[in-house]
Amino acid sequence: MNNKIVWLKIKVKNYYNVLIKLNELGINIFDNKKDKDNLYIKTKYKDYERIKKYLVSYKVELYATSGIDKILEIIKKYVVFTSATIISIILLILANNIVFKIEVKTTNRDIQNKVLKELNNNGLKTFTLKKPHKEIEKIVSKILDDNKDILEWLEIKYDGLIMIVNVTEKTIIKDEKEYPYCNIIASSDAKITALNIYRGIPLKEINDYVKKGEVILSGSIIHNEEVKNTICASGEIYGEVWYKVKVEVPFIEEYIEYTNKNRYNLNIKIDDNNYQIFKSRIQNKKNEITNLYKLNDFEINLVKEKEYVKKVRKLSKDEVYEKALKLGIEKINLKLDKDEEILLKKVLKKELNDSTIYLEVFIVTKENIGVRQIVEEDANDNKLNSESIQ
Amino acid sequence: MEKLHFREYFKNYLYDLEDFITIYENHLHVFNYEKLNKLSDTMIVLKIKNVSVTIEGINLKIKQMTKQELLINGKIKKVEFQDE
Repeated sequence: MNNKIVWLKIKVKNYYNVLIKLNELGINIFDNKKDKDNLYIKTKYKDYERIKKYLVSYKVELYATSGIDKILEIIKKYVVFTSATIISIILLILANNIVFKIEVKTTNRDIQNKVLKELNNNGLKTFTLKKPHKEIEKIVSKILDDNKDILEWLEIKYDGLIMIVNVTEKTIIKDEKEYPYCNIIASSDAKITALNIYRGIPLKEINDYVKKGEVILSGSIIHNEEVKNTICASGEIYGEVWYKVKVEVPFIEEYIEYTNKNRYNLNIKIDDNNYQIFKSRIQNKKNEITNLYKLNDFEINLVKEKEYVKKVRKLSKDEVYEKALKLGIEKINLKLDKDEEILLKKVLKKELNDSTIYLEVFIVTKENIGVRQIVEEDANDNKLNSESIQ
Repeated sequence: MEKLHFREYFKNYLYDLEDFITIYENHLHVFNYEKLNKLSDTMIVLKIKNVSVTIEGINLKIKQMTKQELLINGKIKKVEFQDE
């Protein structure tokens, strides 16, 4: 404390007289400055005590400290600010160097779990400090060595607070089970429109009509009316399939009407969990969501809750007819794949009564009608068992 | 101050000097003075052993001052030594 360096402010009329007095007192002055009325001297704290004791006719006050004491004094003065700044810096450094999430980029759940386990065993866990590049490389090599049979390549990189693990699993070429004998049969009654044969003997031609279960491509190699060999037939067979759809629709329809009463709410989405900030006061509502902020799996959304009321109305004959037809087509559309389509639709029957409309619609579709039928030869009784795979 | 005048201390040690005055362009360093007798912006009088040293100049100012040493700042014009 006594050797602490301080700046003193001494109110003086004659600068030189004071210095001579200070010299007589043996005061050490390491620096000094003066202005109109004051002399500022840099000295030790113990000398300040002596000056106060012996230069009683002068007004002497502690002006400032210097060096570490000055820094400590400033820190003491702004303790809240300095501590908040220091804590913020520490938190910022920690936040930038901590892994908050590990994302293993693979669709294979088993591989994902395996890689996560390996990372965990090697110290790469969530809420731990990021590891240096060299250490990451070592861990990657180790994981790849330990899992040679399932992993082809592994890469670990950081994207902000997330550790992204790109994985390429080892491609194990599994030979598709080769059935010794199979046919392609029709899945429904149809008229064949296209035959794409990969293997097998065609028993039908384009424009032929087939019944459900009838063999279109055969896996039997027949020579002189004798089965010489069997193969697994494969191919794509398209045909026109006919449907008769029955639809009944009431004239009364329920619909919703918005009341122009809207409320705004905030929604926080973390992973797949939604948290609504304010309590919703609207019972029947539809939400319009606008994204305000998004960082990986964290989202803040503005939700506009629009109130509606349910109402009932009576449809006209035309409206109810259109609705019924649309329903019938939708029923068939649900069965169709991407490369399949509706070729024709025709209303066969239309019945109206007081409350409903009844329609029978004839629909023709283009569909893949070929399904594989596996024929297994029973060793004991030498019979052919068949099993179809859709 | 001690750090600044290392060379002088070293010389002092070698030649076994007890006191010395070193003049720089705008500074004057006094080592082992006894008393500061007079002080103004044009003249400083001090005592080293039995010799009175008068320093004349312009804008003279004591920059640093300890029991042993003085560092005077300003334009030094004349340094006069006089036996008492």
